Amino acid sequence: MMLDAPLRPAMLTRLHLSSGLFYASAIVAIAVTTGVLHLLRDSLGTPIIALFYLLPVGVSAMWGLGPGLAAAIFAFLSFNFFFISPFYTFGVHRTQDVLVLIVFFVMALAISQLVGRAQSSRALAEAREREATYLYTLTTSLAGLRTETDIAHALADHLHDILRPASVEIVIQSDSGTPPAIRRAPAELPPSAGPDHVVPLATPRGPMGEIRLWQTRPLTPPDERLLRTAANQAALAAERVALAQAETRAEVLGESDRLKTALLSSVSHELRTPLATIKAAATSLRSGDVSWESKARDELLAAVDEEVDLMNRLVGNLLDMSRIESGALKPNREWNILGEIISGVVARVRDQRHQFDIDAPDTLPLVPADYVQMEQVFANLISNSLKYAPPATTICIRARAQDESTLVVQVSNEGPHVPPEHLERIFDKFYRVTAADRVTGTGLGLSICKGIVEAHGGRIWAENLPGRFAFNFTLPLTLDGAPPPALPMETETE
Amino acid sequence: MTPQPHILVIDDEPQILRALRAILAEKHFRVTTASRGEEGLALAAANPPDVIILDLGLPDLDGVEVCARLREWTLTPIIILSARGTERDKVAALDRGADDYLTKPFGAEELLARLRVALRHTAQRQGSAQTTVVKSGDLVIDLANHIVTRKGLETKLTATEFRLLAYLAANAGRVLTHQTILAHVWDPAEVDQVEYLRVYMRQLRKKLEDDPHQPRCLLTEPGVGYRFAADE
Repeated sequence: MMLDAPLRPAMLTRLHLSSGLFYASAIVAIAVTTGVLHLLRDSLGTPIIALFYLLPVGVSAMWGLGPGLAAAIFAFLSFNFFFISPFYTFGVHRTQDVLVLIVFFVMALAISQLVGRAQSSRALAEAREREATYLYTLTTSLAGLRTETDIAHALADHLHDILRPASVEIVIQSDSGTPPAIRRAPAELPPSAGPDHVVPLATPRGPMGEIRLWQTRPLTPPDERLLRTAANQAALAAERVALAQAETRAEVLGESDRLKTALLSSVSHELRTPLATIKAAATSLRSGDVSWESKARDELLAAVDEEVDLMNRLVGNLLDMSRIESGALKPNREWNILGEIISGVVARVRDQRHQFDIDAPDTLPLVPADYVQMEQVFANLISNSLKYAPPATTICIRARAQDESTLVVQVSNEGPHVPPEHLERIFDKFYRVTAADRVTGTGLGLSICKGIVEAHGGRIWAENLPGRFAFNFTLPLTLDGAPPPALPMETETE
Repeated sequence: MTPQPHILVIDDEPQILRALRAILAEKHFRVTTASRGEEGLALAAANPPDVIILDLGLPDLDGVEVCARLREWTLTPIIILSARGTERDKVAALDRGADDYLTKPFGAEELLARLRVALRHTAQRQGSAQTTVVKSGDLVIDLANHIVTRKGLETKLTATEFRLLAYLAANAGRVLTHQTILAHVWDPAEVDQVEYLRVYMRQLRKKLEDDPHQPRCLLTEPGVGYRFAADE
């Protein structure tokens, strides 16, 4: 196929103008040559003059077939008119001159044809190269994209740059049920009339969208070719994005399946144990085998009571976890006294085997935190510490203002160190450093702490200290940008 | 107070109703039950109870709504039963007129203690026994004469501290939300200044409690408010 029209209208006009210019240049070149040769007519022989004339013909042919041909004809006429006797007529008397003229004319035509053809095939090759470059840029710019929107953006901008249409709009459907990605270039609304050209983005799974083009000028074959290739590339990219998304979804589902299995096995074990105790105690009490006023009866009832509390905590943990995961855990942050929260929790969860050393001075600023959720954090960190710390050791809780905007809390115990590679992961759901059957609990406590602390805008981490193991977390001391309020002060009136 | 106080229980859980009926009948209360909000409202109007126990999660009406509709015409004490982790609902119900709440699962002794407090408040409101002296352990608060003594010795309080203590003591046994306390003791315009309350409560505990970190009288109701625990 001949590619005689360049791709861009701007270029078209420029070439159109310049082709007129080329014809004129060809004529001028011959005229100048004629002038120069006319001055030297007496000293040069007719064959030499004919040879000189071939020079501007060859040059003109480099501007295209047309200018070359025009130069050849004009040179032939000028040669005949000015240099073949009788001068200043188109008549030829001598046979020799007829031969010279014929040879000259054939030579001029041949040269203009040869050079001109070479030139136009070079122009064709250049146009092809330009086209290939556009496609290369398009392909590379589409290659790394991860969403339908990005593809629509890249394609619309690209086509707008290359084709310069009045408007171009790209529509790409997405698999995930979200509305299709639409991108227009230029960004303003397209003309109210329907698009002049529509190219579908066809994939093996059916069309994934389309290119809509508003352009009254008919599409040239290269334009059409470009559009089709762009549509193919975009369809491939969209297909790749859809596949990648499907893969991610599958991975997430797989991960959540794995977690569900872990949850179910953990929960059923943790729920069954207290249930077994309760069932045994209740049936025993109902059977009448246990006398009404016996120590056994009190023991059984105490066991039921404690096991119910255990189950209640477990269900609470599960609920908290599901709130954290669904993003429903919105802390109700109010100014609180941290020491009050800590001592309340310690009074509730302390056991006989450990001492507590609490250092949360009254001079601490008020902390913007959700009272109930902070109780939960301390309860989980302390109960974890109680679980691993050897008997008769001390659990330390200290809080300090790290600077004006951050509070740091540390809950440490004399329990064993955790291998450094596990320090991060102990806050993962169901993650245990020791074998699951050696320690009770759902494996949710620490991940709940992490969820709550992060929902407050803080950070939680674990560290091995000399002779101790510590949980640390930070809490911001500002609420909506406001610092802790000044405390109201008043003296006794009497 | 009638010799057999009448309790209306509105809850849609048959097993809870069964357990409450057994527990309350054992203590010689007269028990009526309803499993839906509308039914409960109708029963409360037809045969006014002395105390209403109300579950927040009813199938037909929101418990908070039931609470508000009851308060349109009756001052009968309402004790809310609610699941854990719904502090906002508890506060909403308390602010819409409920007197107290219990979190499921709850102990029978706790429930009976709350019932006794509610019945005492009914009796007080009916004017039979206006309490002016409240006792909690070795703490004695004379509301009429503005005198607070601890272990027999008078304790100096600031004006605000006394207003706060007096308000809590006058409502002994009941849970009071932060907002309610702030509106009564400070100013209705300052209901969001929870920090005032935190700081004054800390001061009161330092002055009045044996161990301010483990208070026995000025109790925190996490996420909801405070309660004054008086001697029964």
